[in-house]
Amino acid sequence: MSTGVVVTGIGVIGAFGTGRAALLEGLRAGEPRLAEVDRSAGYHRPGGARLAALADLSGIAALVPPALARRMSPPARMAVAAMHLALHDAGLPEGADHAATGIVTGTAFGPAWVTEQLLRQILGQGPDQASPALFTESVASASAAQMALAIRARGPNQTLTQREASDLLALGEAARWILDERCERVLVGVVEESIPVLHALLDRFQALARADAHGPERARPFDRHRNGITAAEGAAVFVLESAAAAARRDAHPICRLLAHGAAFDPSAQAHDWGHGEAALGRSLRRFLARAGRSPEEIDLIVSGASGARRGDRLEALTLRAAWESGKLPPIVAPKGTTGEYGGGFLAAGLLAAGGFRPGPTAGYTTIDPELGIAPWTGGELPAPRLTLLSALASGGAAAWALVAPA
Amino acid sequence: MSPAQRPGGGEAIAITGLGAVSGYGDGTEALWQGLASGASAIGPFTRFEHQRFRTQLASEVREAGASRAPRGDRRSSIADRFALGAAREALAQAGLPSQLDELSCGIYFGSSTGGMFESESYFADLLGEPRRASGIGRLTAQQTCSPGESVGRAHGVHGPVQTVASACASATLALGNALAALRAGEIDMALAGGSDSLCRLTYAGFNSLRAVDPKACRPFRAEREGMSIGEGAAVLVLESAAHARGRGARILGWLVGAGASCDAHHMTAPDPQGAGIARAVEAALADAGLAASEIDFVNVHGTGTPHNDAAEANMLRAVFGDRLPHLPLTSSKGAIGHFLGAAGAIEAVATMLCFLHGAVHPTPGEGAVDPAMGLDLVTGSPRALCGARYALSTNLAFGGTNAAIILGSEPV
Repeated sequence: MSTGVVVTGIGVIGAFGTGRAALLEGLRAGEPRLAEVDRSAGYHRPGGARLAALADLSGIAALVPPALARRMSPPARMAVAAMHLALHDAGLPEGADHAATGIVTGTAFGPAWVTEQLLRQILGQGPDQASPALFTESVASASAAQMALAIRARGPNQTLTQREASDLLALGEAARWILDERCERVLVGVVEESIPVLHALLDRFQALARADAHGPERARPFDRHRNGITAAEGAAVFVLESAAAAARRDAHPICRLLAHGAAFDPSAQAHDWGHGEAALGRSLRRFLARAGRSPEEIDLIVSGASGARRGDRLEALTLRAAWESGKLPPIVAPKGTTGEYGGGFLAAGLLAAGGFRPGPTAGYTTIDPELGIAPWTGGELPAPRLTLLSALASGGAAAWALVAPA
Repeated sequence: MSPAQRPGGGEAIAITGLGAVSGYGDGTEALWQGLASGASAIGPFTRFEHQRFRTQLASEVREAGASRAPRGDRRSSIADRFALGAAREALAQAGLPSQLDELSCGIYFGSSTGGMFESESYFADLLGEPRRASGIGRLTAQQTCSPGESVGRAHGVHGPVQTVASACASATLALGNALAALRAGEIDMALAGGSDSLCRLTYAGFNSLRAVDPKACRPFRAEREGMSIGEGAAVLVLESAAHARGRGARILGWLVGAGASCDAHHMTAPDPQGAGIARAVEAALADAGLAASEIDFVNVHGTGTPHNDAAEANMLRAVFGDRLPHLPLTSSKGAIGHFLGAAGAIEAVATMLCFLHGAVHPTPGEGAVDPAMGLDLVTGSPRALCGARYALSTNLAFGGTNAAIILGSEPV
């Protein structure tokens, strides 16, 4: 990838609030905003996880008129609202021409609430009770479609789903569209909702953090006593443009995307991470080499470590394998604050790469000797010149991006 | 001039292996024999009880061969197994080893529901009254990305693995993503395709939209009433020409261009003028460095819904103009139903089989072709192709997503 892709706008909605200022404030505070999940439906096991980073949706009504919002799935509402924030952040006026704007979204689970309601109708009341409106909104691409409808974006439109790597894969695909001159502008959306049944199922797979003798129920990225993720919901939308297009309209880029890459760990189980750190480390080195970079040039890693027991292990050992005997640069793991899913990680990563102070890694207290990684927990961190964003997904997918300040 | 060398077009990518699982059975030979026969694979099905559904037909893969769960495997979904069967066949035809550890290979898959069928049985227990205990293992392969990941795990893939979930355009978009990654030199080869299985959610959903024909679907017929849902998988082995030639592979054909667009018109209905899909086709032609006049036949989306077929006819008229009445068209969905997220993959394989067998397969369906459309729909029996070089394949999806690819034959 050349230096030709810039991020000119970011719109976010999550537990931290609405807008990138709210996200940055949350990251600096270094404390996740967790709320009790509704367990009244009885999906949860006794003694199971109770908390999630549920999105603060109070700002949506001002961004998506209720008459439009009621036709959208919950994630589509969040995505459209985040898109309006991102376009505003990018200095693109309402009513701007989006005839050639592309959209690529990433999601791990798609519209979960709509799917649950549809299954309730079909399985409980009978197939003839299925709602066509719900069915239409049940497809994973519904958010991307609603975004396109809202601004008449008629460029390519695509949704990627690859668990925890969906966000970085979407970012990479969007960058490619710009570099291939298929679009001058692409909106990248990352969106997820957290509903009780999904929360309960993640807990049954033992994916969620629990309270224990070492601390309360929260994600502890890279920590010796980590025991699971915090499920999050929210949406993040990023305006990507060719550097030339951004310059033509005097936009103020936040950061530059230099390269994207991806790999796979075939040792992974369908619902867990594998042990392919050596091969993933080689893949990461090859990715950097293809971008004309070496590990030593990277001065910040924004890691997708989420507090998952095996996921963080694989992330740490992959980074160490890629750096071989070299010293790793400072590492931050924003999912300790933002939670897993919903775009907070990618927003935090792009903002950190652009020079915004990322805040300490929430939840980390004790080094894990097997991992040998102590994430940055605060204090002075020089503005990075080259940032690596890293996301390893359960199921085997891996994705990376190299990002520089604008 | 080889399809690999077209002035003004992007690099063409070699196709060296094909694999398919469809309602005609396992494998591309069964697929071609079925397609060429003109007999539809759409009929009664047994996957789930469907007496209370509005329609009663589908194109079902029987639980045999590739689709059967290996002994002791209680976790892979039917869609996973379809994908694995198609990938095995494609790799064997390409002369590649089963384990791809040493190769720079990526996986680009499309799916709309992944393991939804298996999830439904779990949710039936979970949502039922009284609630029943249910094994969480049934959800292991629930995710839409599971078929592609299953192929990656089974064949030791270390390159990128990504799944497009853009409803009925998913696999066509995935093929386009693979084409771009190969051209960019990110990988030397790719397994590109898609997999989806029948499930209650999509069957009931499309019925709720009144988009399913009570009879086997009748693409472009005057009396058409909707689609028929199918299931299965298809995989294509894609390689850079240098990589394919370097290992002495037989090149079956070429992926020469891809294009995409969005109608931004309506969540379910296509732009009635077909302007959105026309832009995707024009983008694919430009990407391939071809003029519309160089397309020899078209495998259209052709669902059989009144709206889709009319919009596609308008697109074809806009793109091909006066040639349209003499341009052979086929819809694989008339034969094997709509594979939803995998449709673009099976239709790409069907298109390649047309090249390889020198004939366009017919489109089954009752009744006369809609005379208002002015189309040359191939019906009855295969239509011989003479010196055909390029074919267009199109897919449209919910949300107005449009995708088109152009495939090329390999001159003998």
